[in-house]
Amino acid sequence: MLSDQRAMLTKYAYIQTKRLKVLHHFFDERTEYPRDPRFKSAIYDLEHMKIFSLLEDENVHFDDEEIYISNNHIHLVKTLDDFYLGTKYLIIEVEDSGAWRGEIWKNIIGYGFFAFIFFLLFGLYLAKLFLRPMRDSIVLLDRFIKDTTHELNTPLSAILANIEMMDTNVMVEKNKTKLARINIAAKTVSVLYKDLTYLTLEQEKENHDEEIEIKELIYNRAEYFAVLAQSKHIECNLDLEEASITMDRRKLTRVIDNLISNAIKYNKRNGTVGIQLREGMLVILDTGIGINEEKLPFMFDRYMRFNDSEGGFGVGLSIVKEILDEYHISIEVESKEGEGTRMVLRW
Amino acid sequence: MVKPIILCLVLVSGVFAQDAYERHCVECHKELPTSLQRMFMRYLLVYSGEQNVKAGLKHYLKYPLKEISVMSDLFIDTYGIKEKTKLSDSDIDEALDIYWDKFKVFNKLK
Repeated sequence: MLSDQRAMLTKYAYIQTKRLKVLHHFFDERTEYPRDPRFKSAIYDLEHMKIFSLLEDENVHFDDEEIYISNNHIHLVKTLDDFYLGTKYLIIEVEDSGAWRGEIWKNIIGYGFFAFIFFLLFGLYLAKLFLRPMRDSIVLLDRFIKDTTHELNTPLSAILANIEMMDTNVMVEKNKTKLARINIAAKTVSVLYKDLTYLTLEQEKENHDEEIEIKELIYNRAEYFAVLAQSKHIECNLDLEEASITMDRRKLTRVIDNLISNAIKYNKRNGTVGIQLREGMLVILDTGIGINEEKLPFMFDRYMRFNDSEGGFGVGLSIVKEILDEYHISIEVESKEGEGTRMVLRW
Repeated sequence: MVKPIILCLVLVSGVFAQDAYERHCVECHKELPTSLQRMFMRYLLVYSGEQNVKAGLKHYLKYPLKEISVMSDLFIDTYGIKEKTKLSDSDIDEALDIYWDKFKVFNKLK
């Protein structure tokens, strides 16, 4: 380093000063300027006049730093307290081989690497320490959700199964309506339950991809949600052609369920839900409340909800997007506030 | 008649042949044990540069004081300090220029 050079040059300057002192006292019987093979030197008086110089680079800076590099030479400008031979400034010059720079880089890289490793390990330790309570609470929450969703399954299945089995023919009209409401509520909870179990339990499960006839699946799901649509007097227009896709059935069901249930949930009374199926394309459109254009980019974010009129966690569309991305299916959303939304899936 | 005139001319020319330094400095310093060369080196040790040395010397010649002398205490105690100069500024400057040129270190080191 230059500071190491400074220490060496300062030592040379000290040696040369002693020699100048001797020469001063014996001047002018002795007039030979002291020379040293290790360095070159020069002496200047108070008025920067050169008294004598052996320097290879005569370009001396008096007002800059004490040590500097100029034309591949390192100069140390030492100011003397006693002006031997009138010398105020003693210049010591050595060649700058650049070896010290290599040494610096070696040191920087060496020590830097060790420092980096040390701080990395230290950082990891600290992060682990600080994140432990957060991780513990996440694990706790995760376990709670897993346990609760699991416990919800049995009563929910029992409700839905029993509603299906009920003989509505013997019921009075008033009770039929009430039963339909119970059915809708149970199915809404069921969709929510399935979303939650998908998120917490099934997401990491391996995919069982198979060739799926989408038309059949959509019929099934539309039928499942028919009660929900009827309650809002929503008309379902199905325009389905034969189409197939290789996908995990469970995941495709989640996508279709969420898109259809959203189309119904956020629709107006007496509105329409249209589903068009073509080979490589599925369109689901509604005449509902629509989504503000500025909010469109955020509609697939988890826990993002634009409307509190309906229940939910805001996880449905984030699950849809996740699954579609996994299977490289594109989704295009066209929406006008107050007029409706049109979702186009292409694969 | 011619002889005394020649003698006078030789004497006068001898006096004028001496420069200001020799006339005003060497005469008195001859009697001191320390040479003008050594004294010059003492001034150099304290004042360094040409202008500084000359200014220091001129000041001492005009206002000699024990405290500002560059000589050792032993020297001062033995020989005392000089009297105030009666020379004009221009004479002093002339003598000092010669003194500097005679003993300066420049171009003497090898």
